[in-house]
Amino acid sequence: MQPYELTVAAAAEAIAAGKLSPVELTDSVLARIGEVDGRLRAYATVAEDAARRSAERAEREIAAGRHLGPLHGIPVGLKDLLDTADLPTTSGSRVREGHVPDGDSTVAARLAGAGAVLIGKTHTHEFAYGLITPQTSNPWHPGRVAGGSSGGSAVAVASGTATFAVGTDTGGSIRVPSALNGVVGLKPTYGLVSRHGVTSLSWSLDHVGPITRTVEDAAIVLGVMAGHDPDDPSCLGVPPVDYAAHLAAQSAAGDLRGLRVGVPRNYYFDRVDPQVEAAVRAAVARLGELGADLVDVDIPMTEYVQATQWGLMVPEASAYHEATLRSTPELYAPDVRVLLEAGELVLASDYLRAQRSRTLMRRAWTRLFDQVDVIAAPSVTSTAVRTDQQSVRWPDGTEESVADTYVRLSAPANITGIPSLSLPVGLDDSGLPIGMQLMARPLGEATVLRVGGVYEAAQGGGGRLAPVAA
Amino acid sequence: MTSADLSPEEAARWAHRAGLPLGEDRLAVVAATANHIQAVLSTLRELEFGDTPPAPTFDPRWGARDAAV
Repeated sequence: MQPYELTVAAAAEAIAAGKLSPVELTDSVLARIGEVDGRLRAYATVAEDAARRSAERAEREIAAGRHLGPLHGIPVGLKDLLDTADLPTTSGSRVREGHVPDGDSTVAARLAGAGAVLIGKTHTHEFAYGLITPQTSNPWHPGRVAGGSSGGSAVAVASGTATFAVGTDTGGSIRVPSALNGVVGLKPTYGLVSRHGVTSLSWSLDHVGPITRTVEDAAIVLGVMAGHDPDDPSCLGVPPVDYAAHLAAQSAAGDLRGLRVGVPRNYYFDRVDPQVEAAVRAAVARLGELGADLVDVDIPMTEYVQATQWGLMVPEASAYHEATLRSTPELYAPDVRVLLEAGELVLASDYLRAQRSRTLMRRAWTRLFDQVDVIAAPSVTSTAVRTDQQSVRWPDGTEESVADTYVRLSAPANITGIPSLSLPVGLDDSGLPIGMQLMARPLGEATVLRVGGVYEAAQGGGGRLAPVAA
Repeated sequence: MTSADLSPEEAARWAHRAGLPLGEDRLAVVAATANHIQAVLSTLRELEFGDTPPAPTFDPRWGARDAAV
């Protein structure tokens, strides 16, 4: 196994044991970028020299006995929405071409403080306002989309050009590309991870989270990223949690006895590709074999999900961009520009209805989690579509845009702010990955990580890379 | 087009009112998009809100050194 193929946990163990040098690991990842990223284009910017210097510093520090923890010397790719000092942060847009922030986002600073090696900035759909990331290719199939908006981050992890990555999720932008690329993506509880220094799409719905090869890796990375930040007004003031230690303790039994898994009777399996449904239902059955109680649940207020999502996101995105929409509108891609312009015409009364609907949904979902501990569902309705595909057609005769179908199953967890973990549960007949999402009550990260971790271990452990030939 | 839909000319007036200058070439596509968005958002008018408040996004303790819960 090449170093670039190692999970965070395996690489950390090898580094701690003195069997792997951080320099060797970063060299391996940079060489892998040279082999495959010309084709895949996960990266907008690769900071090769700075990465090598960071790896050398990590090697010296560890050799001197100053080991900072499991991320020390581990290569990371950051979505190009996160500010990184002295490194271009373009948000995937000509509007921010050449923009170099003065300081790090809080997440970038925390990861650097933990000794992670910043490899570069990964491609994002422009300003996160889309679910395709057209700049980037899916490593499982050249003619398919990477998904988005954190497409670059998911592809980097899946193809071995980052040991882990960071994305953002406003309507599925961590979970969708993670599912489409066969990797693990976690949208944490709203406000758990600081958004200071992260370009905003929608203040009400934005989340920052890890994209990794395994559930254990997600727990390790979340432990470093999460926590109160006085610079972020929406960041929760909760005490730090060692998610990796919790996962190890809770997974020790290897089963899910005592856990109630909710299986939706509505919404999450409606208008879903049959192979996606089959793979997820098989994974749910596996959870039952592992000791969980499977409970049918009815998802509340589903007919208002899209309206609530749009009612919050569309006007907020337009508000964030109001200055540049007036000064340099021609620099936006057409699909983003028209949404920003039209968003200025949304009535305040409709925005307030969306905010009030959000309160109703939050209350209804709280009652749902009285009945169950976790809800299991598909992450996305379909696997990766063709790059030239605009819509999907369902057996009931309806046609849905690709963006709408990719958001549909993600949005409830953004609106309610509950944690949602996407993990791979199989491939379809075309060899394209399928993802299942596990949702829990607010601050229930330990629960989704436990269920995901036990499932992953029972399936032989995760960490499989996409089969990209060099 | 329903009676609530904006024509391109109406979209221009609304954008002007919002302080957003729109060229002639933008009016049709912006109107169409705004009308589609409005059609989606209109389902929220079915909900009985009673005295339900908007979801808060702000902690008034923000910035205080002892703000941790």
